[in-house]
Amino acid sequence: MAEFAGHCPGLARDEIGWRIVRHAAWGETVEVALPELSEAQAAALCGQIRERARTALRRMAVARIVEAIDGATARLLDRSHPVRRKAEALLPVVTGYDRETVRLGLTGFLKTFRRPQLLRFLAEDFSDPGLLDGFRPAPKGGLVRAQGPDLLLHVWAGNVPALSLWSLVCGLLVKAGTVGKLASAEPLTAGWFAGLIAEQDPELGECLAAVWWKGGEGASEKVFLREADTVLAYGDDATLAALREKLPIGTRFLSHGHRIGFGVIAREALDRRRAPALARLAAQDVARYEQQGCYSPQMLFVERGGLVAPAEFARYLAHDLAALAARHPRRPLSPGEAAGVAAWRQAQELRDTADLLGEPADPWGVVVLDGDDTLRPSGLNRTVAVVAVDDLDAVPARVAPHRAFLQTAGVAASPERLLRLADGLAAVGVSRITAIGAMTRPEAGWHHDGRFSLLDLVTLTEIEAGAEAAAEGFAPYAD
Amino acid sequence: MAAETTERAEIVGALLDFLARPSATDAEFEAMALRVFAHQFRHNEPYRRFALRRGRTPLAVRRWRDIPAVPIKAFKDLILSCCPPEAAERVFMTSGTTGDARGRSYHPTMAVWDRSMRDNFRDRVMRGRAPIRMGILFPDDEALPNSSLARYLTLARREFGTAGSAGLVGPSGLDLAGLLTALADAEAAGEPYALLGASYAFVPVLDALAASGRRFALPEGSFVLDTGGFKGRSRELDPDAFYDGLSAAFGIARSACLNMYGMTELSTQFYDDGNAVYPSVKSGPHWIRSRVVDPLTGEDLPAGERGVLVHHDLAHFNAVSAILTEDAGEIVPGGFRLLGRVDGEASKGCSVAVAEFLAAARA
Repeated sequence: MAEFAGHCPGLARDEIGWRIVRHAAWGETVEVALPELSEAQAAALCGQIRERARTALRRMAVARIVEAIDGATARLLDRSHPVRRKAEALLPVVTGYDRETVRLGLTGFLKTFRRPQLLRFLAEDFSDPGLLDGFRPAPKGGLVRAQGPDLLLHVWAGNVPALSLWSLVCGLLVKAGTVGKLASAEPLTAGWFAGLIAEQDPELGECLAAVWWKGGEGASEKVFLREADTVLAYGDDATLAALREKLPIGTRFLSHGHRIGFGVIAREALDRRRAPALARLAAQDVARYEQQGCYSPQMLFVERGGLVAPAEFARYLAHDLAALAARHPRRPLSPGEAAGVAAWRQAQELRDTADLLGEPADPWGVVVLDGDDTLRPSGLNRTVAVVAVDDLDAVPARVAPHRAFLQTAGVAASPERLLRLADGLAAVGVSRITAIGAMTRPEAGWHHDGRFSLLDLVTLTEIEAGAEAAAEGFAPYAD
Repeated sequence: MAAETTERAEIVGALLDFLARPSATDAEFEAMALRVFAHQFRHNEPYRRFALRRGRTPLAVRRWRDIPAVPIKAFKDLILSCCPPEAAERVFMTSGTTGDARGRSYHPTMAVWDRSMRDNFRDRVMRGRAPIRMGILFPDDEALPNSSLARYLTLARREFGTAGSAGLVGPSGLDLAGLLTALADAEAAGEPYALLGASYAFVPVLDALAASGRRFALPEGSFVLDTGGFKGRSRELDPDAFYDGLSAAFGIARSACLNMYGMTELSTQFYDDGNAVYPSVKSGPHWIRSRVVDPLTGEDLPAGERGVLVHHDLAHFNAVSAILTEDAGEIVPGGFRLLGRVDGEASKGCSVAVAEFLAAARA
C-alpha cells in the first residue's frame, strides 16, 4: 500500500494522477505516490490558492499562523503521534539515512519551529512583525506594511529529512499563498506538515498545496512556473539555471544552490584534552546526513603548532568515524555514489603529499594533505580531507576561489582569533560561522546563505509622510 | 641507458613471441604479466610509488589479478612511461575537452602496438575474408599523429584494404559525395564494402541518407565498424536506434555491424561479433584480460554482477598494463558486456559534489 504524498486542497484522491515511486533501504521497501496534476488541475489549484491567499490568508493575524505552525510542529515532535511514527518508519527507507539519524535529525530540526522560535524568527527580520498584519508607523515617517506574494512556488530538492519545512514555514509566516514541488528524494514531510496545518487551521490549510512533477518535463510545470509570483528554488547550478530560464521576466526568483562546508581548527584547540573531543564532534558533522547538506564539512583546515599535530588529529577523526559507523551505519551507496567515493580515494592515492587513512572497504575515509590545498569537494559519504596549515590566517585565501559555493564554516578557536578569522571569512563570502559539532544544525532564525528568509519574500507598501499629511487636508474635520 | 635499451628489447621480443602464441596457457599469461609488471615497477617511477602504497611489489604479487590497476585518470596527471617521454616514437593522447588535461600513452616502439592491432583485426574483423574496399570516416594518422584511433584505422586500411579504399574525412570534413559514389559502386559491382570510423561520424551520414531518402543494399560480406561512442560530437543516439539505422541505410544485418572498444591507454582493442543484440559481448585476444571489480574495494565481483572494468593488457608494456577504467561492465560467458560510464553522482542533498565543482571551475 503506497503512502500518498503531497497536499492538494479541493482535489479528491481519485481525481489526481499518482506516480508511484518505490524506495528501498535497510531491507525494506516503501512505495510513495506522488501527485501529478494535469495542466487544468494545476491552473485551477493556482487560481484557488491565489484567491484564498488574497481573501483569507491576508486577513489572518500572524499570531494565528504562528499558532497553527506551532501546533503542527508539536504533533510532529510527539513521538506517539501517528504522523511522527509514520515519519520515523518511512523516512529511513525513503532517504536511506539510518533510523537514529532520522529521529534525532527530525527532533533537532523541528524544535526550531516552536512558537518562541517562530517569534524570534519574525523578530530577526522585522523590527515590528506587526507590519505583516497592517500599516505600521515607519521610523522615517509615514506608514509601512509588508506583504508576501499571492502565490509563492517552492521547488524543493534533496534528501535531508524535513528540509522543505524551512521555506514552507517562511512562506506561511509572510502569508504567501503556497505551492510546493516535492523533492523526489524526500517527498513526504512537506505533505504531512501541510496536512497537520490543515488539521490545526482548516482555513490556512486551504492556502497551501504540495505537488510533484518531473522537473523539466511535467505537463503542469509550465502552469506553475507561469502562475507563481515568486519562486524559491533549491538545487544544483544546472537545475537552477534551467528553471530561471523558464520564468516570466517579472517573476521574482530566489535560489539556494549547492554549497560546500568546511571546518577550521586552531592550535589552541589542539591539546591532549580538547583535540579528541573536537575530533568526535567533527566526525559527527561529517557523518550526519552523509555530507549531503549544504552545511556539511568536506574539508577541515587544521593549524600546526598545537600539542596535537594535524596528522594526529586526522587519526582521532578516523577513529571516531570508524566508531560512528558502528552506531550509525552509512546508508547503502548507489553505484554513482560509490564511484564518487572511489574516484576520491584514487585521486588521493595518486598524490605524493597525501596520507590516506582507512581501507577501501571502510565506510569512511580521511586524507591528510600537507600541501597548499585550496577548498575542494571530497567524495562525500563520510570522506573528508584534513589540510594542515601553518596559520589560520591562511584559510580565507584557501577558500576564496570558491566564493559562489561558500556558506558554513565550523570554527574552533579562541574568541579573539575567532573574530579575526570571521572577518577574513566574511570577506570571501562565508555567511554562517558555527561551532564544530553544530555544522548541520543551524540555529532558529538563521539567515540561509546570508539572506533574509522572510524579508526577501515580501514587498513593502509605504504611505509616505507627505501622503499622510495631505490626507489630513481632506479629513471631514479639516478646517 | 644501454642496459635499459637491452632490457626493453628483451621484453619487446618476449611480448612479440607471446602475441604469436594463441595457445598460451593461463600460467604463461600469468608469468608474462608478472614479468611485465616487474619491468614497469622498475622503470615507471609514478607507478612504482602507486604500487608501493598499495603494498603490491613484484616480490609480493603472485597472481596477475593482484597487480595494482591504475585509475585511467592517472594518465592525465602523471607521466606513466618506462622510457623517457622524449624518447617515445609515438605519443597517443586522449581527445579531452577544453580545460581538461589530456591522457598520454608513450610508445618507445610501435612494433608491439602495431602487431597487436594487426593480428587482432585479422582474427576478429577479417576472419579469413579477402582484402576489402574500405571507407574510413576519420582523418588518417598523418593528420592526427597523436590519435590512436587514426593509427588504428590507417593500419586497417593499409593492411587489409584494397587499392580502392579511401579516407572520407579530410581537412574540409566529411566527403559525402565520395562516400555515396563508393557505396553505389560497391552495390553495382557486387563487391563487398567496409565502412569504418568513429561512431559519431556515422551520425551525419545517416542523417544525410535519411534526408535524401537514399538507401543502399551492400553486397554480402560488407560490414560496418564503429568505435568510441558519440562523445558529444554528434547527436546521442540510442544504441538500438543507431544499429537499426546502420542496418537499414546500408542494407546489412546488425550482425555485420561491429563495434570496436578501445582506448588510448591500451595497446589492444576489444571486438564483438556484431550487434544483433545490444549490449553485445566484447572480448579481446589472449594477451589481454579483463576483470570486473567493486569500485570501492577493487575486489573482483562474481560473473554477472555489475561493476567497473579493469583491463590487463600485456601489449601496453611501456606504461601500465593494468588499467582501472571508468566503464561499467559485467563478466559474461565469452567476455564482458559494456554497460555505460561510471560517473560520480551529484549529491542527493544540497552539498556540492565534484562534478558540479569542476563544471563551475571550467565555466
